[in-house]
Amino acid sequence: MKSAISIARWLARALAIVVLVIAGSTVLVRFAPGYLSDAREMDSRYAVAARVELSQETARSHSLLGMLSAEIGGWAKGNAGISRQYDVPVSGLIRPRLAVTGGLMVRSLVLAWALAIVAALFSSAGRNPAAVWQAPSTLLLAIPTAAMATLCLLSGCGGPVLVMALLLAARDFKFLHRALRKAWLEPHVLQARAQGIRTWRILRFHLFPSLAPQLAALATLSIVTALSALVPVEVLFNVPGLGQLAWNAAMNRDLPVLLAITMIMALAVTLSGVAPDRAGEWRSA
Amino acid sequence: MRFNRSVAALLVGLVLVASIVLLAPRASYSRQDRDATLATASRQHPAGTDELGRDRLVRVSAAFLLSLAGAIAASAITTAAAAAVGTLAAFGPASVGWLAMLACDVFLALPWLFLLMMVRSALPLTTSPANSAAITFLVLAALGWPACARAVWRGALNLRNAEWMLHTRASGLRPVQIVRHAIPNLLPLLVPQFLVCIPAFVIAEANLGALGLGVGEPLPSWGGMLLELDNSAMLMQTRWVYFPVALLVVVLLLLDAIAVEVE
Repeated sequence: MKSAISIARWLARALAIVVLVIAGSTVLVRFAPGYLSDAREMDSRYAVAARVELSQETARSHSLLGMLSAEIGGWAKGNAGISRQYDVPVSGLIRPRLAVTGGLMVRSLVLAWALAIVAALFSSAGRNPAAVWQAPSTLLLAIPTAAMATLCLLSGCGGPVLVMALLLAARDFKFLHRALRKAWLEPHVLQARAQGIRTWRILRFHLFPSLAPQLAALATLSIVTALSALVPVEVLFNVPGLGQLAWNAAMNRDLPVLLAITMIMALAVTLSGVAPDRAGEWRSA
Repeated sequence: MRFNRSVAALLVGLVLVASIVLLAPRASYSRQDRDATLATASRQHPAGTDELGRDRLVRVSAAFLLSLAGAIAASAITTAAAAAVGTLAAFGPASVGWLAMLACDVFLALPWLFLLMMVRSALPLTTSPANSAAITFLVLAALGWPACARAVWRGALNLRNAEWMLHTRASGLRPVQIVRHAIPNLLPLLVPQFLVCIPAFVIAEANLGALGLGVGEPLPSWGGMLLELDNSAMLMQTRWVYFPVALLVVVLLLLDAIAVEVE
């Protein structure tokens, strides 16, 4: 019962955050200095009458309340608004790209975690100086995602999954190395090692269970990092996912699309926090 | 400590070299030498030129100084905002603290790049390059504070429950006086936050620029120069195209080393 109340409270907070994100983003966009300008009005291919129509259309979306109701109404109807650029429901643009982006994220996260855990286990338990393992991770973190993607394209090796996985693995490794290093020096682990218990048993029954909350929190952080890296990776590798759609929308000032994608990202980040927050409670329930 | 000093000295050295390059006579990041487009390294252009005949060394120096200055300013604003929000949330009434942390959660729920793209795409079509640079770093500062504010809030909460802090309250000190005592004690938390934000903002600007949403041309930026790598004709002609990327990585490594050392 206590757990159910806590979950309900958490869901209410998550819902409040998403509603605030919608309201905040709409206010931000509405009061941005260039909101009322439309790139199409400067396009000479449009006839004068069409340009006048476009400016009238922009002026109609002047009121903040109108924008908010249109935004929430669009979500309630299930079409998430109408794209300015393509004049089609935003949901129709987003739906086929969700699977592409989801697949890319899952493959990258799995590869990144595998790399980071293996490297962190060797660096924390091995005798090699930690710098040997930390140097590649520091170097990878110092390369902007866009540069890493471009260099991969130029050298012809690796693809979007590898670039995202390297970025995520470098970030996760830093946290995992620190956490594992500390865990190996716990008195009960030292005792277990002194008694000759096999390494995999120590990992399975002592290290990973005690690190579970930290690992769950790190997983959330990985998802947030992956979402941020999506745009440059998808744009540079020409992956038809949500990141590429967002970039296209930003370049063409298609704010309904951009707003809808931002909402989805906010929802993904908020929901990804469920597991780490609730894991402890479910275990103790 | 010695390592930290040598890293800082190296960074200061790079700043000095870049300043000297920019102060040299006839050095202008927008001046075009139409007789030497896509030129390789020469005495006149030590790092070659881009496709418009602009000196790459001058442009890299300008991008380095602009990005560093912008990131430092943005980081200072972020840290100040985080200190204000975190301290207010910890020392203010419980309702204010709850609201401040809810605001942090709302900002943290948004992947910054999407929000940044949304704000940048809603700017006027005629934004000048200088304004686009200022707006880019201001937006970075405006979006970077929540994570720092949470860390400051946690530190300030610990401080509020410290014995000497209870003593100050029992002695009847006013909230303003208490906060004045608290701020210097939060510096060990604020200084690393400030230093960690600098490389993060430099990377963010480079990524945004590489997507065509950063600092506007002809003002040079790391992101703008990363776009040169897309030009295969240029890559065939000169390897100096990689120079900005290499320098950017070195600068980021130096900034990161300083932040880690201080942390």
